[in-house]
Amino acid sequence: MLLSLGIALCLASNVQAALPLPEMSHSFTSLKPAKPASDFTLPDLDGKPVKLSDYRGKVVLVNFWATWCPPCRREMPSMERLSQRLKGQPFVILAVNQQEEADQVFAFTGQLEPAPTFPILFDRNSTVSHAWNVLGLPASFIVDKQGRVAYRAMGGREFDHPEIEQTIRALLK
Amino acid sequence: MKHPHAFFRFIFLLALLLVPAIHAAELTQNRDPESGLLAWKKVDRGFSLELIQLLPEYVAALYSSRNLPPAVVDSMRGYCVFGSVVQNQSGGTLDYRVADWRVVTPDGKQHRLKTKPEWVAEWKTLGSDFGWSILPATASFDTGDWAQGFTTVKLPPGSHFDLLYAWRHHGKRYRGKMENLVCAPDKPPLAP
Repeated sequence: MLLSLGIALCLASNVQAALPLPEMSHSFTSLKPAKPASDFTLPDLDGKPVKLSDYRGKVVLVNFWATWCPPCRREMPSMERLSQRLKGQPFVILAVNQQEEADQVFAFTGQLEPAPTFPILFDRNSTVSHAWNVLGLPASFIVDKQGRVAYRAMGGREFDHPEIEQTIRALLK
Repeated sequence: MKHPHAFFRFIFLLALLLVPAIHAAELTQNRDPESGLLAWKKVDRGFSLELIQLLPEYVAALYSSRNLPPAVVDSMRGYCVFGSVVQNQSGGTLDYRVADWRVVTPDGKQHRLKTKPEWVAEWKTLGSDFGWSILPATASFDTGDWAQGFTTVKLPPGSHFDLLYAWRHHGKRYRGKMENLVCAPDKPPLAP
């Protein structure tokens, strides 16, 4: 039984590696009119509560993800690169993990280069993702300084692409 | 040339005639050299759909590794499961509903795909909710958006079928067909 499961897990990783996923997109869809973002408070990796509305006055990239989701894994290093490029600007990334525990997330983020320095939050019952009408993972939203959802994207993105950086810089002005 | 305008008009008309041929999307099939598993992809009028065979053991291992109740893992047995990727390459907004899609087996029978809300409702009674693994049942996509997840139909391993699917683009309904698809076999085709 254990051997069988081991073989299956090896196959799982092989299949995942073999999945010819689409190239990462680099566009966000503008939402007009921008609607107020549904507020949330979620624990971070240290268990400390993080509230979205506390970031009012900053541009916030809210990303819904999970470690088992291949495009979520692929896009995360580009989120960190974007975060580094916009360092010193009123810009924050909140990566909202779905239904996983801290040890699963640690095991994944420990392998990343560059490792994420932005807050990772835990939406263990997917309450927040449902409130945000997230249908699939990954999904990303850009919240403007006024706390409104200005852009959305379904599926993986190359976040440090100039087009996305430009979109965020325009909101930072 | 005596009548260059007539020539270019001819070329233009020929190009117009060829446009439907370009839209007649082609189904491509790939075999993973390591696992021997098959994958199919079709891009039809901006709607890209890709299906990747998944072994029953792989699916069971994935759910087991999430520490889901054994009843949830067992619930997937008997289903033909594909890794699925849907992408909007249309340059506009499009949407789909998995509930509109049908699998047609060689005996002519049509089979519904089991949708994400149906799985979630079943798994909730079994004490779990891992709905994120299933392809969103409906989605409205903008250019560049894509989604992935499992599509499932109750068929035995190795079953042959055609998939009839549909989507809407700018309010107009389109239909597509992927022919000669096969559920993953019970055991790896290129087992070590």
